[in-house]
Amino acid sequence: MTPLSEDRLRRILAWVVIVLVGGPVLSAVLLGVLHGDSPCILCWAERTGMVLIGLCGLFVIRYGPKPRYLGVVILLGVWGVYMSLRHSSLHLARDVGQGFSAPILGAHTYVWALVIYVVALIVIGVLLLLLREIAPAEGARTVGRTGRFAIALFIVVVAANALQAFASTGPPPFFGQGDPVRLSWNPKHWVWSFEELKPYVISLRGSWSIPAPDPAHTDPDPAHGPLTGLPALPVSGWEKIGAPLDGAVSGFARDSATGRFLVTTDQYGVYLLDSTLTRVLHHVVMDPGFSVDLSRLTGAAFLGDTLAVLSTNKTWALLLPAQGAAADSEWRHFLETDGRMGEVGLGRFQTVRAHLMYALALAFDPGAQELITVSAPNPRHRQLVVSRFARRDMTLSSEFAPRLGPGLTLAGPARTLADYVVTGAAVAGGRLYAISAAYSTLLAMDLASRTLTSAYAVSGLSHPVGLAVRGPDLLVAQADGRIAVLRRPPPPAP
Amino acid sequence: MEFLNFLLILWAAWLLWRRPERERLAFRLLVISCLLMALCFLIGSHGSLVPGVNL
Repeated sequence: MTPLSEDRLRRILAWVVIVLVGGPVLSAVLLGVLHGDSPCILCWAERTGMVLIGLCGLFVIRYGPKPRYLGVVILLGVWGVYMSLRHSSLHLARDVGQGFSAPILGAHTYVWALVIYVVALIVIGVLLLLLREIAPAEGARTVGRTGRFAIALFIVVVAANALQAFASTGPPPFFGQGDPVRLSWNPKHWVWSFEELKPYVISLRGSWSIPAPDPAHTDPDPAHGPLTGLPALPVSGWEKIGAPLDGAVSGFARDSATGRFLVTTDQYGVYLLDSTLTRVLHHVVMDPGFSVDLSRLTGAAFLGDTLAVLSTNKTWALLLPAQGAAADSEWRHFLETDGRMGEVGLGRFQTVRAHLMYALALAFDPGAQELITVSAPNPRHRQLVVSRFARRDMTLSSEFAPRLGPGLTLAGPARTLADYVVTGAAVAGGRLYAISAAYSTLLAMDLASRTLTSAYAVSGLSHPVGLAVRGPDLLVAQADGRIAVLRRPPPPAP
Repeated sequence: MEFLNFLLILWAAWLLWRRPERERLAFRLLVISCLLMALCFLIGSHGSLVPGVNL
């Protein structure tokens, strides 16, 4: 392979600058002039980065391949890849065909920015690979005809960009906009703003900075809750899980057909217990790392014979007790198994209204054949959302934020149902019962009208983690394995 | 600020073309323009510096 001399490198770079500036950068200006396309503040930075890569090329054309030029252009390429990835991430996961501004050849401009920066880095790498090892002489070089054309084109295109930037973003100290207006040369249509300088909190992850829910450290006093004047629902008795468990209870359910109980623990244990809560019928320990990421187990439900467990990141697993299940074949699913349980499904619930919120409660509505989760509000997203998923495909059916029924009053304008942290849920008679670890409150919702119809203060609870229905009673399981028995309140009179 | 940045780039390009002996000033303009471009992007993405996806 013939090494690349400096003169040849400079000639090639002149063409690279011509292609870069005369291609994507000039096209972007023409999109504005001909179609009114106006870049957002992120697009402006990406376009400027391409112009600066072109400027670095001109430096090499004029002064030779000095290391500091090469350093700047590599940094620009890497920064450009970051910018375009960060920008594209705003839209890549949206629904089919959705994006920002019009697509070009099937892809939106921010995706093309990524392609251009990657190609620029590849070109830089190839040129450096082929470059003869020479010590560049000091001083300016004579620029050939192609180089002069590249410089002239560069200046014309950058001047056009400056004009567009003046009309679109204004003179300093104005900045570009996140949601730009259509380009116009009529000053009456110009919008110059500081909207991007609003004092938002600077964050590494933004709305994705979601702390893991910690219901153990919530205020258990019902008197401090968001609803005022709640009637008390006394604990009529206490029971205890007598079977040995490998950790603290984290989820709880009861099968009304057989009376059996399903218990999960904070050590990924899943226990099928008999109706007396003293004998383990089946036991496995889930593997949180294989294959999908199971965060802390937090909910349980019976789907007929199938057992459903939920982790806080809305990942679910379906298990089926089976006498014929072989321990060796199920080894890949479980860290421990009694050899009589099989995994029949593993997946993740996709939510919309409850997006970016963890869930701490799982229930099953046998009438609708739907699984139900209740979101755990967090500082970034304060909502109490009930999400329903069809049993047949585990896909979202509906979501709602329950509205307040008659007779329920918030304690103040700053209080909302999102102050509750629901850690257990169960369905009976078309109603969703939910126990909140925060303010030890039992919430009763009518699923048909999506209304919180009643709420009750339950004093004496300590870290409730699950809720189940047993005939006329509700059973509130605590992390310590104790179970509070409550008399199930009747639905309010219509 | 985008308009200002393009003026800085134009200035640097003009120096390269017509005043090549001012290489140091032109390079400083290049660096300042890079920093200004990065600042504009960070201002535009200040809500979340890392893409809004699972890591």
